[in-house]
Amino acid sequence: MAVTNAMFTIERVLRASPARVFAAYATLEAKSAWFKAPSDIETLNRDLDFRVGGKERFHARWPGGLVTDFQATYHDIVENERIILVYDLFHNGDKLSVSLLTLELRAEGDKTRLIHTEQGSYLSGGDEAVKGREHGTTWHIDNLVALIEGRELKAFV
Amino acid sequence: MLQYQAQPLDLAFQALSDPGRRAMVERLSRGPASVSELAEPLPMTLSAVVQHLKILEEAGLVSSRKTGRVRTCTLEIAAMTKVESWIAERKRFWNQQYDQLETYLSENSQEESH
Repeated sequence: MAVTNAMFTIERVLRASPARVFAAYATLEAKSAWFKAPSDIETLNRDLDFRVGGKERFHARWPGGLVTDFQATYHDIVENERIILVYDLFHNGDKLSVSLLTLELRAEGDKTRLIHTEQGSYLSGGDEAVKGREHGTTWHIDNLVALIEGRELKAFV
Repeated sequence: MLQYQAQPLDLAFQALSDPGRRAMVERLSRGPASVSELAEPLPMTLSAVVQHLKILEEAGLVSSRKTGRVRTCTLEIAAMTKVESWIAERKRFWNQQYDQLETYLSENSQEESH
């Protein structure tokens, strides 16, 4: 099994104070309102214990049958400033990655710059880990990713 | 540690932000096609298709080769490496979540008490 270490950042300027952005992370009710799947999924487990050492879980079955499991542990929380967590991501029970995710909130006037820095160990466990994502023939961005990963190469080779 | 450069990928995602270009990529995912074959099902002019192709080529998603009078286009995204695809998928996931966070924050802006 190969391991790839990689890092990326995402920056967003949000029209809300750091306190409001922080609040969106701090309770299960608030976080469930936005940290969610866009389609009709079946939620299998959903928990959030937002404190250092506390855990979060979002375990769900997608319409195509894929079961995704996000399991996080909070390592550092500074109110309205930063949240550091480590999360594992599973697809159909196979671990795809372990990531250190640092979220920084910086006030910019009445807005907040959200800086997401993710350092991950990405585990490639062969096709089994990702087979669940192959469903349907309708083109959308997920299919593109599948294509990039080479799983649908036979479709056009 | 590999420091991944996201720029080429951002270019690819920008290129794919357009539904017409996604339709062209979809068509090419089934096999190479000529420019006119690509244009046929699309509600756009041939010159618009050529413009879109240029963007897809610059993003490294599509290559084209001219044989006689026919330009044949091929999907090249298979050339992207595994790590690029991982990062692409993860970035796409989080960007989607942050879109939802923005919506959530705007819907709840009246409830702010501090």
